[in-house]
Amino acid sequence: MDRNQSHRNRRRALKALHFTGLFLTMMIICIPGLWIVLNSFRPTVEIMAKPAIWVPSFTLEHYRAMFAGAGEGGVPVFSYFRNSLIVSVTSTLIAILIGMSGGYAFARYRFKGKNGYFVGLMLFRAVPGVALSLPLFIVFAKAGIIDTHLGLILAYVAMNVPFTIWLTDGFFRQIPRELHEAAEIDGCTRWQAFWKVEFPVARSGVASAAIFAFLTSWNEFALASQLTRSVGSKTMPVGLLDFTAEFTINWGGMCALAVLMIVPALILTFIVQKHLIAGLTFGGVKG
Amino acid sequence: MQKAKAIMGLMACSALVAAPESALAADWGDHSGVTIEAKLIGGQQYEGLYGRIAEWEAATGATVKIISKKSHFEIDKEIKSDMAAGTTNWCVGSNHSSFAPQYEGLYADLNDLVPADVVAEFVQGNIGASTVGGELLMLPRAQFDVSVLYYLKSNYEDADKAAAFKTEYGYDLAVPETWAQMKDQSIFFADPPNFYGTQYAGKDEAIVGRFYEMVVAEGGNYLDENKKPIFNSDAGQRALQWFVDLYDAKAVPAGTTSYVWDDLGQGFASGTVALNLDWPGWAGFFNDPESSKAAGNVGVAVQPMGSVTRTGWSGHHGFSVTNDCANKEAAASLVMFLTSEESQLAESAGGSLPTRSAVWEANVAAAKAGDDPFRAEALEAFAEGAKYAFAVPPIPEWGESTNIVFPELQAAIVGDKSVKEALDDAAEAVDELMRESGYY
Amino acid sequence: MTRRRLPEWFVLLLPAIIVIAAVVLIPLLFSLYSSFTPYKLTRPSTLWKWVGTYNYEKILSDAKFWAAFGRTVLFLTIVLNLELLLGLGIALMMNKVTWGQRTLRTILMFPMMFSPILVGFQFKFIFNDNIGLVNNVLQSMGFDAALPWLVDGKLAMFSIMFAEIWMSTSVFAILILAGLFAMPRDPLEAAKVDGCTPWQSFRHITLPFLMPFIYIAMTIRSLDVARAYDIVQIMTGGGPARRTELLWTLMSRTGYVDARMGLANAMGYVSIILSILFTIYFFRKLSAARAELGMAG
Repeated sequence: MDRNQSHRNRRRALKALHFTGLFLTMMIICIPGLWIVLNSFRPTVEIMAKPAIWVPSFTLEHYRAMFAGAGEGGVPVFSYFRNSLIVSVTSTLIAILIGMSGGYAFARYRFKGKNGYFVGLMLFRAVPGVALSLPLFIVFAKAGIIDTHLGLILAYVAMNVPFTIWLTDGFFRQIPRELHEAAEIDGCTRWQAFWKVEFPVARSGVASAAIFAFLTSWNEFALASQLTRSVGSKTMPVGLLDFTAEFTINWGGMCALAVLMIVPALILTFIVQKHLIAGLTFGGVKG
Repeated sequence: MQKAKAIMGLMACSALVAAPESALAADWGDHSGVTIEAKLIGGQQYEGLYGRIAEWEAATGATVKIISKKSHFEIDKEIKSDMAAGTTNWCVGSNHSSFAPQYEGLYADLNDLVPADVVAEFVQGNIGASTVGGELLMLPRAQFDVSVLYYLKSNYEDADKAAAFKTEYGYDLAVPETWAQMKDQSIFFADPPNFYGTQYAGKDEAIVGRFYEMVVAEGGNYLDENKKPIFNSDAGQRALQWFVDLYDAKAVPAGTTSYVWDDLGQGFASGTVALNLDWPGWAGFFNDPESSKAAGNVGVAVQPMGSVTRTGWSGHHGFSVTNDCANKEAAASLVMFLTSEESQLAESAGGSLPTRSAVWEANVAAAKAGDDPFRAEALEAFAEGAKYAFAVPPIPEWGESTNIVFPELQAAIVGDKSVKEALDDAAEAVDELMRESGYY
Repeated sequence: MTRRRLPEWFVLLLPAIIVIAAVVLIPLLFSLYSSFTPYKLTRPSTLWKWVGTYNYEKILSDAKFWAAFGRTVLFLTIVLNLELLLGLGIALMMNKVTWGQRTLRTILMFPMMFSPILVGFQFKFIFNDNIGLVNNVLQSMGFDAALPWLVDGKLAMFSIMFAEIWMSTSVFAILILAGLFAMPRDPLEAAKVDGCTPWQSFRHITLPFLMPFIYIAMTIRSLDVARAYDIVQIMTGGGPARRTELLWTLMSRTGYVDARMGLANAMGYVSIILSILFTIYFFRKLSAARAELGMAG
């Protein structure tokens, strides 16, 4: 009886500990982000107040100003959003296609120096953006694709291909060769066999590679700040700097734009996140 | 009397309203079919002027294509990248007096493109600061910056405080005239972490600029005539000691070494800093109840002096025309339009300082006649402060030297090095830079 | 069907190779060359002047460079290890959650939505000593102090590490969680029957199974550690008094502000080599862990 009691107490304590730990973790994860959301709805004088004001008041002023014309606090939000969307989606799609074909090559063919190719491709991803940005700018300037969507898309495709290859390679590898051979015997071409047999199995791997690629492109700053210039190509992370001037930062306005950046990414992640876990599980380990 | 004032105010207003019409009347030339590509500095206080570009387009038949609009440091980075890649066939660029000497060979000498009588209408100090090696590299816009002293008036209206100060320091408490007085008062007012005596920019070019003007105020200089660093002189040590003493006494926020202008402005606007040496662009912000808790309690005075003269590190924005521009006349016309009297009147109405003599006079007169005593007080202080203004050394290496110097200044402030060690180390490194650059 | 001259695997890999060559390889060769010149952005003609290894000698004999280098290695080591430990802890806790897990997982990924530059601004304000959230909370709880988070040597390093860890721990947690989901139940239950303590079964069953996932996470992270540049640049810019100076901040200031690209590219090469070493190290560990589990492809 007594032993049971202490056992139950211990379990209860553990449960409480687990709950508290989880709660604290979530708090630490959420508060800095939610603070941005909160500040986007507060008047500047309150954000900067000292001593702090803990009961927030509510204003849509930062959002109103952001959508207003230039000179009244407005920034071309719609253009930035459109540029970000075009660049991120296109580069993700292309990176997935190219990466999938590369991953397939690594998974299905034997060739000399395979490991070398593989590690080599990965290492290119390791080049820090800040070291790459100027040489890349000069090369792109010579090619005449500065300040275009194309230039940025190309850069992001190159950034995202290695990781996509890695994840999809793992997926294709765990699909038994027999499946594919059977399809070919049934009269499918290799291409048809790929789409009918292998692609569906690899889908969650592709989905998780896609979400990583999308988030990378959506949030990238070091290259974008160098390769974009005008409203016609600047992406949202670069647009954040519109709220800084020589002497000032408009923190409330910056928060408002930040919220517009975070929300689409959050929605997308919520939708695909079941695939994400599955994708990472197989893709990574079996590679 | 009251009526006369009102009429004067009205006249000042109508002068502003009339401005756009006369802009149309002015002759900007016929540039039909020309497209001018421009790289402009972005940021709220600079945007208003760009709204006027449509007028110039209407008057000349040309079109302006803004191919880049970025914040100060980003546009600097972009222009340097352009020079590296050779993509410099755009026409008009925003420029700054502290940055201009770096862009060697990029911008045309405007003495060849702008009539001498137009150049003569600007404040000659600003024209001097826009001239590098005899070439006029930019025309100044109404964004002239020199710092004056903002203070919380309530601190000087409290009899108990005044008495306590007098017993402690032996002289009457009044808005400081010298940097030594400012140090005393800052330490006296400070009550960290709730209230600070003052604050200063603590990194990048910002702190080096502040240090530079203090060195000059103490009778020293940053470089000698051979461009050899001499800021580690006695004057330099006295200047840096001021920063160190304030930091040690906790009269400045502990984070001050990570502050630049926005932090300082927000700090003073939070009403928790007694004395603040800061730029003209903040005046309206500080006295606006929407943005500042200090509103209504803000005084503006001319900047204090060191043991020799007043400080006055200054800079201004302007517009330049590239050498590679296909149609320099049209570009120069746009630059003249953006810096014209009408444009400067319109831009300085937002609170920034003009660079044309006539606009200065008009603004001061309008403020005197107007019903905003704060604006009048501020303008008077700025007009007085502008008399002591001086620019940074006009050499391409200025920016690079500040990157060498500021970590050393910080090291002295936070106590990693002594004042003398820090300045000697910095001077040695700048000396190497100057030698590598071939000055001696 | 026409006769193919190129092997099929090569054709499949070709697009990847072309894109990467165009975007990474060519610029890298250019910057490698320029690191042997006194290349100054504002004086393009300096690109044609060969100075041999002058830039490398200059940085390798510069104490400030080595201090930044050492600090970067220290920063990476601490940050990656802490992210791993925290990620592991979070994943284990999450795995036990029976209710609302999908929502919790989305919350967990919240920091991944933030652009590094935004994270920089965010924590710059949170750690501001005068009006920052942290000091405001401390003061309203009665601590009469304004801690100089971004100034004091140790606190400043702590602050930038905190920001970096906040942003990147999720990657570890998600990947390790994926590993926990993939784990077979039987060995754990067998261990329980055999009377193993929870710690023993974690140490000898769970952890070895998770190792490949941990190394994958490490590899992914080591691929883009340089993202920390955006954060540090905004939060402290390497200051004060070089207390938070990392290779990347030093490099970008030399290259863009001072316009000395030749010198900056020499530093760039050192930082690239550093990144590559980290990556290769984890790749090796990954292969070893896979081999141990018999999962090698």
